Amino acid sequence: MTDRHDYHVNGPLPETPDNDATAGAWPKTTVIGSRRSRVDAYERVSGTAVYPHDVSLPGMLHGAILRCPHAHAKVLSIDTTAAEKMAGVHAVITRATPGTDIPWYERGGTFSSTLFDATCRYAGEEVAAVAAETPLQAADAVRAIEVTYEVLPFVIDDAEALAPGAPAVHDGGNMVGEPRLRERGDLAAGFGEADAVVERTYRTECQIHAPMEPHGSVARWDGNRLTVWDSTQGVFPVQETLARVFALPMSNIRVIGHYMGGGFGAKLETGKYTVMAAIMARMTARPVKIFLPREDCFTATGNRPANTMTIKIGARSDGTLTAIDYHSLGAAGAYAYGADTSSLAVYLYRCPNLRAEDVTVYTNAGKARPMRAPGFPQGAWALEQAMNELAAKVGIDPIAFRLQNLATELQSDPPMPYTSYQLAACLENGAAAFGWQEAAERRVTEGDIRRGVGAAACFWGYAGGPPSTVVVKLFADGSANLNLGASDIGTGTKTWAAMIVAEELGVPVDRIQVENADTATGQYATPSGGSKTVPSDSPAVLAAAAAVKRQLLGFAAEQLEVEPGDLEIRDGEVVSRSDGEKHLAVTAVEMLGRRGLIMGTGYRDPNPEGSVTFPCAAQFCEVEVDTRTGEIRILRFLGAHDSGRVLNRLTFDNQVFGGMAMGIGLGVTEERVLDRRTGRMVNANFHDYKVPTILDVADSHACLAIDVPDEAFNSTGTKGLGEPATIPTAAAIANAVADALGIRVTAAPLTPRAILEAVGSQGKEA
Amino acid sequence: MLPKFSYARPDTLRAALALLDERNARIHGGGTDLLGCLRDRVFAADTVVSLGAIAELRGVAATADGGLRLGAMTPIVEIADSGLVAERYGALADAARVVASPQLRNQGTIAGNLCQKPRCWYYRGDFHCLRKGGELCYAYDGENRFHCIFGGDMCYIVHPSDTAPALAALGAVCRVTGPSATRSVPVAALHVPPSVDPHRETVLETDEVITDIILPAPPAGLRSSYRKVRARASWDFALAGVALALVFDGDVVTSARVFLSGAAPIPWRAAGVEAAVTGRKLDPEIIAAAAGASVAGAEPLAGNNYKIELFKGLVAEQLEAMAQS
Repeated sequence: MTDRHDYHVNGPLPETPDNDATAGAWPKTTVIGSRRSRVDAYERVSGTAVYPHDVSLPGMLHGAILRCPHAHAKVLSIDTTAAEKMAGVHAVITRATPGTDIPWYERGGTFSSTLFDATCRYAGEEVAAVAAETPLQAADAVRAIEVTYEVLPFVIDDAEALAPGAPAVHDGGNMVGEPRLRERGDLAAGFGEADAVVERTYRTECQIHAPMEPHGSVARWDGNRLTVWDSTQGVFPVQETLARVFALPMSNIRVIGHYMGGGFGAKLETGKYTVMAAIMARMTARPVKIFLPREDCFTATGNRPANTMTIKIGARSDGTLTAIDYHSLGAAGAYAYGADTSSLAVYLYRCPNLRAEDVTVYTNAGKARPMRAPGFPQGAWALEQAMNELAAKVGIDPIAFRLQNLATELQSDPPMPYTSYQLAACLENGAAAFGWQEAAERRVTEGDIRRGVGAAACFWGYAGGPPSTVVVKLFADGSANLNLGASDIGTGTKTWAAMIVAEELGVPVDRIQVENADTATGQYATPSGGSKTVPSDSPAVLAAAAAVKRQLLGFAAEQLEVEPGDLEIRDGEVVSRSDGEKHLAVTAVEMLGRRGLIMGTGYRDPNPEGSVTFPCAAQFCEVEVDTRTGEIRILRFLGAHDSGRVLNRLTFDNQVFGGMAMGIGLGVTEERVLDRRTGRMVNANFHDYKVPTILDVADSHACLAIDVPDEAFNSTGTKGLGEPATIPTAAAIANAVADALGIRVTAAPLTPRAILEAVGSQGKEA
Repeated sequence: MLPKFSYARPDTLRAALALLDERNARIHGGGTDLLGCLRDRVFAADTVVSLGAIAELRGVAATADGGLRLGAMTPIVEIADSGLVAERYGALADAARVVASPQLRNQGTIAGNLCQKPRCWYYRGDFHCLRKGGELCYAYDGENRFHCIFGGDMCYIVHPSDTAPALAALGAVCRVTGPSATRSVPVAALHVPPSVDPHRETVLETDEVITDIILPAPPAGLRSSYRKVRARASWDFALAGVALALVFDGDVVTSARVFLSGAAPIPWRAAGVEAAVTGRKLDPEIIAAAAGASVAGAEPLAGNNYKIELFKGLVAEQLEAMAQS
C-alpha cells in the first residue's frame, strides 16, 4: 500500500504527461479573483442539497452506539439478550460478534486498538451497536444492553500522566513515541548574547471541532458491493479503509460525499460508525444509517488537544533575536494523533540558537485529532505573546519587532528558500489598513473599561501538492462538466473549480455542472484538509480545462485554416488574434459537434524542488476589557493574508472571517471540561460548550488579501487559506487584552473568570 | 431517546387541571426546557399537558390599578418587545431581552422561564446527583465555576432565570390555580432553596398552574434595571446578574429591592445592598459599601471565587448607572 499521510502521498509520483505549461498564464482575469456566490448556494439554503444526514433509503434501519461511561475500564461481559428482544431491533453487535475484530487506530504502522476494544480508554469509547427500525428504538435498545465493567484507575491531566505511578493508558507508559526535539546553534551562547529575556508558561484548553453536520454514514450492500454515503472530508481514504476491513476490492466499495456539513479535521479519518453501519447492513440485508448524537460528536470524534507551552526567548537591545527555548506538552487523549506545537517557534522568526521540544502524552480522554492547523494556534498563543512581551522589553513596536526578525527562508539545514512569502506585506499593509498607530493611540489603560490593540503573525506549514486528477468535458452546446474528487467541506471548492474552467474556456459558471467526491464516478483527490485543496487541486482543474481548450482550438484551427496558436476563446467564440475576420462560435466547431464532447484530463504537477511554500498571515484586533466584570468586547479584527492568488474573493473573505470566529472560540469562549472525579466530559452540548455566537465575534471585521500569485509554486499561483485564517487569532486577542490591562493572561480561554482572576492577582501584587 | 408519554392539548384551564391530576404529568409551556429534560432523562413523564391552546393564558395587558398582567404563556419575546413593559418596568424588559437566544425567546414562555430546571451540568448530565435522588452533589468537589456562592446546602446549583430576579425585585406576584383553589405566590417566594428541599425548585405542586403574573403599579420615582454577565454574549445563562428596583425621592433612595442571578439556588435577595442604599444618595462611598455588601457572607467554591469580584463590580456598575439615569 502507498505510504499515505492525512493530506498527501509520500514518495515520488509519476510524471504528469499532458499538462499544458502555458495554462493559467492569464494576462488578466475576468472570473478568477471576482466575488462569486457558491455554485450550490441555492441547493444549500433551500434544503435541496442532500447531505449524508439527509439520506433516507427504502427499508433503511437506524443504528445507535453504546459507549463506555467510564474513563478507563475493562469490559468483562456484555449481555444483549434484552436488547435483541426489543421491538424493531434487527442487529446487535459487540466484540463477540464475528467479523468485528477489526484493528483500529493505526500509528506508525501498528494498530493500538480494535473496533470494540476489551479495554475502554476514555468515557465515550464504543462497546456495542444496534440497528433498529427507528432511531428511537435503536437508542432504547442500546440502553437495554447490560455491560459489566471492571473500572480501572484513570488519568486525565497531561502533567499527571507523566508522573511516576500514573495509570497507564496503554501498555508501555503514557509518553506517545519519543519527544520531538529540534535544535540549532548554541542555546546558552544565544541567551548569553541577549540583553532582554522573557520566560513564561502558556496554556490552551482542549477545543472541539463541532461541525454543524454530525458525524455519520449510511451503508447499503448490493451483493458484495457496498455503497456508503459519508459525511467525510475525503471519500478515497474511506473507500480504502472499507476495502481493507471487508477484504474486498476497492472497486466493490463506493463512497459518496457530494455534500458534507463541516469537519475541521475531525472527518479526515474513517469513523468506527461507518464500519458498524456496514457490518449491520450486511447482517440485516438492509441499509443502515448511523449518525452520532451531538454528545458523541463532542466526546468521541476528536479535538484540538490542550497544550502547556513554556517559552524562553531573548533578544539584543537592538531587537535582534538571539535564542529561543521552547517546550510543549500536549494531552493527546486515549488514541494519539500528536500534539506538537513548536513549528512556529522553530521557523517563524530568524533565530540562530534554538531548542524546541514537543512531548505528547496519552490520557484517558477523547482522542486528539487534526483540527484546523494542528498545533499552530496553540504555538502562536505562546510564541506571539512572548514576542510582544519581548518587544516591550526592548522598547520596539511589536509590528516593527516582528518585521525586524522575520525569517525570509526556511531555517532548515541547509536553509531552503520560500517560493513566495509575503509575510512582511501582511504585517506592513495589514497594520496600515487596520490603522495600527491610530488604534494604539486610542489605548486606555486606566479606569474600569480598558482598550487595547494586538497583532499576531503566522505561517502554515503545508501547501499541498500531487496527486490530483480532474476531468473536464465540453459538450456540443458549449456547456461543460467538471469532475473532481475533492470534497467541498464548506469552503467553496466546487465554486472556485468552476471559476477556473470558466476563466480558461470562456464558459459561464452557471453552464458548468460540477460533480465531486464520489469514488465510483470521480477522479482521485486527497482529502480536503491541511489548507491544501486549492493549491493541490486547482492546477489539475486548470490543466484539464487547458487540455479541452487545446483540442477545441485544434479543431477550430483546421476549420478556420489558421494555426492553433493564433486562436483564443472570447465570449463563446474562437477568434483569430491576427485576423479579426476569422472567428467561429464554439458551438460551430464541427468536430466538437461530431464527437459529441471534448474531454480533457488534468493532473497536478509535482511541486518545485529545492524550495518550500507556506501561506502566511498577520491579524490585528482592537478590544475593550471591562475590568470590573471581566468581559471582553472585540471591537475590530483585520486579517491580512498571503495565500497566493485569490480565486474567489467572496469565499476568501468568508474563510478568513470563519477562521477568526474559530480563533475567538479558542481564545475567549471554548473549552472542554472533564469532571475530575469520573473523567466524563460535562459540557458535551452546544449550550455548555460555548462556540462563539454572532455577538461574540468582532463588531466589524475586514480581510486584506495580499493577492500575489505564487508562480514558482504551481500553475494557478495559489496557496491555502483555511488554516492560517485561524492560527494567529487567539494570540492577537491575548496581545490586545494584555495591551489594555498591562498584565498578561497566559491561559486560554479569556473568560470573565480568567480576566477577573488576573486583575485580582495584580491588585494583590500592587 | 424520549420516554413514552401521552400528550394532551386541552383548550380550557379546567381540562388541563384535570389532566395534571394524573400520575406524573408534566406541564408543557414553550417546551424549550421540558423536551431537553425528557431527552436527557433528567426526569420522565407519563403525561405531557400542553397549555398552548388556552388563549386566556397569553398576553400583556395593563391592569385597572396601573399595574400589568402577564399571561403565563406569553412568549419571552413579547415581553422583551412590549412598550408597556419597557415604559414601566425597565428591569423586566432588560431581563427578557437577555434571555437565551432569539429562537428560545420566541418559543419560551414567561412562566416557563420562572419554573426552569437547574442548568447544572451534573444535574443535566449522566450523573445521579443529589437533586435527582442520588447521594451527593458532584459540583461541590467538582467542576463548579458556574455554581453558587450563596445558599448552597447539599446542592450548589444557581437558579437559571433572568426574569425571576427582575420580577422579584419589582414585587410581582404569580397567580396559581390548582384543582380546588387559586392562590397568590410572590415571585420572591416562588423558589425553594436546597436547605428546605433539594429535590424541588418551586413551591408549586405538580397539579398547580401559574396562570398570570401580576406586576403592581410602579411607584412614583421607581427606577429599575437588570444586567447580566455571561461567558458567551448570547445563548448563555448568567455568571452573575443583578436586578435593581429602587424608588427615589429626588436623588435619595427611599426603598430598594435587589435580587441577584447566578449567585444562589434561588433568585437571591441582596438584603445588604438594599440596606446600604436605602435612605441614601448613591454617592461613590455608598455604592462601594453596597457593592461590598452584595457579597458579604458569600461562600465560594474552589472554582468560583471570581464571582466575588464580579458581583461587586456588577453591583457598583449598575448603581452608578442608576445614579446617573
